[in-house]
Amino acid sequence: MVPEPRLRALNVSKSYGPFRALRGVDLQVAPGELHALVGQNGSGKSTLIKILTGYHAPDAGSRMLIDEAEVALPISAAERRRHGLSVVHQSLGLVESRTVTENLRLGRLEATRFGRRVRWSAERQAAAAVLARLGSAVRPTALVGDLSAEDRATVAIGRALQDHRPGRGLIVFDESTRALTRDALTRFYAQLRRVMADGASVLMISHRLEEVLDHADRVSVLRDGELVLAGAGTGDTSEAELTRAMLGRSISVARQQGDAGNPPDSATAVRVRDLEGVDLEIRRGEIVGVTGLVGSGYERIPYLLAGTAAVRSGTLTIGARTFALPETSPVALMKAGVALIPEDRVQQGLALGLSVRQNITVPRLTAVGRAWWTGTAWQTAEVDEFVGALDIRPPDPEVPVGSLSGGNQQKVLLAKWLAGRPELLLLHEPTQAVDVGARQDIVAALRRLAATGSALLVAASDPQELAILCDRVLVIRDGRIAVELTGEIDQDDIVDATFAREFDPSASRRSS
Amino acid sequence: MTDTMSSPALTRRLRIGAPRFALIGVWALLIVVYGVAEPQTFLRASTFQTILNSQGTLLFLVLALLCTLTIGEFVDLSIAANLGLSAMLVSVLAVNQHWNVWAASLAAVAVSVAVGAVNGALIVFGQINTIVVTLGMSTFLTGIALWISDLTLVTGLDPDFAKIALYSVGGLPASFWYGVVAIGVFSYVLAFTPLGTHLRFVGASHEVSRLAGIPVNRIRFGGFLAAGAFCGVGGVLTAAALGGFDPTVSATYLLPAFAAAFLGTAVVQPGLFNPVGSWIAVYFLSTGILGLQLLTGSGWVANVFYGGVLIVAVAISTFLGRRAGSRRV
Repeated sequence: MVPEPRLRALNVSKSYGPFRALRGVDLQVAPGELHALVGQNGSGKSTLIKILTGYHAPDAGSRMLIDEAEVALPISAAERRRHGLSVVHQSLGLVESRTVTENLRLGRLEATRFGRRVRWSAERQAAAAVLARLGSAVRPTALVGDLSAEDRATVAIGRALQDHRPGRGLIVFDESTRALTRDALTRFYAQLRRVMADGASVLMISHRLEEVLDHADRVSVLRDGELVLAGAGTGDTSEAELTRAMLGRSISVARQQGDAGNPPDSATAVRVRDLEGVDLEIRRGEIVGVTGLVGSGYERIPYLLAGTAAVRSGTLTIGARTFALPETSPVALMKAGVALIPEDRVQQGLALGLSVRQNITVPRLTAVGRAWWTGTAWQTAEVDEFVGALDIRPPDPEVPVGSLSGGNQQKVLLAKWLAGRPELLLLHEPTQAVDVGARQDIVAALRRLAATGSALLVAASDPQELAILCDRVLVIRDGRIAVELTGEIDQDDIVDATFAREFDPSASRRSS
Repeated sequence: MTDTMSSPALTRRLRIGAPRFALIGVWALLIVVYGVAEPQTFLRASTFQTILNSQGTLLFLVLALLCTLTIGEFVDLSIAANLGLSAMLVSVLAVNQHWNVWAASLAAVAVSVAVGAVNGALIVFGQINTIVVTLGMSTFLTGIALWISDLTLVTGLDPDFAKIALYSVGGLPASFWYGVVAIGVFSYVLAFTPLGTHLRFVGASHEVSRLAGIPVNRIRFGGFLAAGAFCGVGGVLTAAALGGFDPTVSATYLLPAFAAAFLGTAVVQPGLFNPVGSWIAVYFLSTGILGLQLLTGSGWVANVFYGGVLIVAVAISTFLGRRAGSRRV
């Protein structure tokens, strides 16, 4: 007899304006199973989590059943607690300056009848009981900030577990295991299995395919908001199959056009030596990608080269000039022709309340304008050129950037730095969370810049983006270049080099 | 194609444009209401002269406040006390210590700039909370002013010296025109120079500015210095106009300055701190308060009015800022 599922999500959809983040997802999690959900960035994983936590209301027609009982959407905190549905977030949600007990019991603290004092001895006992169930030796009085990554994960699990009643409940882990080492991971799953022994279910959001295959019972794959693989047994699938499901059809088509005419110039434009252990060169007109797993260090490279992150060692040579990076200010590098397009558009990229024109021209105000007169003609010319070239909409340079769509904001950010014609353009996730049309405009603009002889370095996690954009891709592992892909770059190769055999290069058991 | 794109842009312009000058409408309405209610006392040339004459001190305080507000440093609470100290210093040095009045003025401005430098150093380089630093500084400076004046009103500045504030040009005192010039220069810098745009960017986001190559900390420090300079000059002019200074009154200038600066975000450039808007707001406030004082004939209205206006003004500012998609208080 098939037991009734713990969680049944039926036809769950979520739209943001015209963009459909989730399209009719049907997901089932059985009692007592460890169900993994994988997908690329932007596939809809985090949207699904936010619906499960009640942060988002899904579109009409979406339904959710827990233990076959219909749940009102958006799901309320009380309802989540009643059904034993808890979520452990990526950041674990712990306050470092507080003790384990306080973190565990926050929101559940019980006070004495009179006086409303918290009875800390009882709270500590409750915390100790939870930790004991997890087989953990963490002291309830320890500060969370003093704990190892592994122990913090334990505290977060403990918190998720305390409302748990035997035989029921669903714990969702939203990439919470990324800080754990391989040994810690094994213990973590052993602990999880102990908790699940009485019938609780786990939904594990992850991007580490090997981890998923090793530890989960079944796996589902999200791609572009659709569930393309639903609950395949981990014994019946492979990394290669999951990769194909995550990527869908191979797209190595868009790359070709306008490309054949611009073979990278042979002259080296940029030379990097001992950048905390990384050596690389970029030729004139070349676009080099760097990628790797979260935590591998690839995403820091643009910031290290731009001088905006503290760097321990390394030199950067542009043309005839060599800079010792630890001693060089971002402004000096900027003057030498280095430009950085950061990932975080809102915090680091653009001032949303100011106009498109102001945002595009701000890096060049002092260089082009005079101290007592900024000048308008050069600004108009610059802005018109890039609003046209990138097809920024609405084509009105005086509206605040914040009123534009995400894709158009990204184009403004690009224009801000492209207009300075940098010698070396550093980018981090340049097309993240933008729609297909905007992505094409952005890729075309970057190729045009390369064709003028600039060197580009793109740090990105999306293999498809890298395959479309780059002449060469470097895969980083533990802060070192592990694999260099050249020639015709296939996104499957990038995925293979990134995800496969992450922990032990010799274990080729599951790679096809 | 062009039509479909420009028409929403046009509607948006109109929508933002409409409230842009609403405050001036309310101002006109106030004058009409007071004129009808108190035709004998309110509708006289002397009333309007009072309104335009008496706001020099407030205007310089607002300018000082704008120096830090435009770069996103909220609540510099020390400005009123700093201005008061400057006014007190001129009076004490010139009257009690028999300094040359110009030397005394120079010394007062220098002290105020130094106060701004201490604020800036602590807040920008020491990264100490703005409210704590400026609240402490405010009380500290008020105490110093009381000490040097021996807690009493100091008067008796040279009447000739008063001319630097009161000399009449076109029927209005010189201090009014200083305000006009200062507002004009401030507006020009903000709108048409690289420095002005840098100030706006620092006000919008430190991180974005830093990555665009703007020397964020230098600009923030400079903002506090400039605020000190405006306080110093404003204090000297205040002392000159009054012929001395009372150390206990400076605190009463603080709230009106905040009310005017925030109310100013509802005018001219909605959602942004802007000098012309604040300048209009100063006279709007003085009209409002004078009319109310004539109607009620008592002093308590000032607190009610300025306090109420500050809350309403910040609410408007927040609302407009949110609509412009920018971050606000």
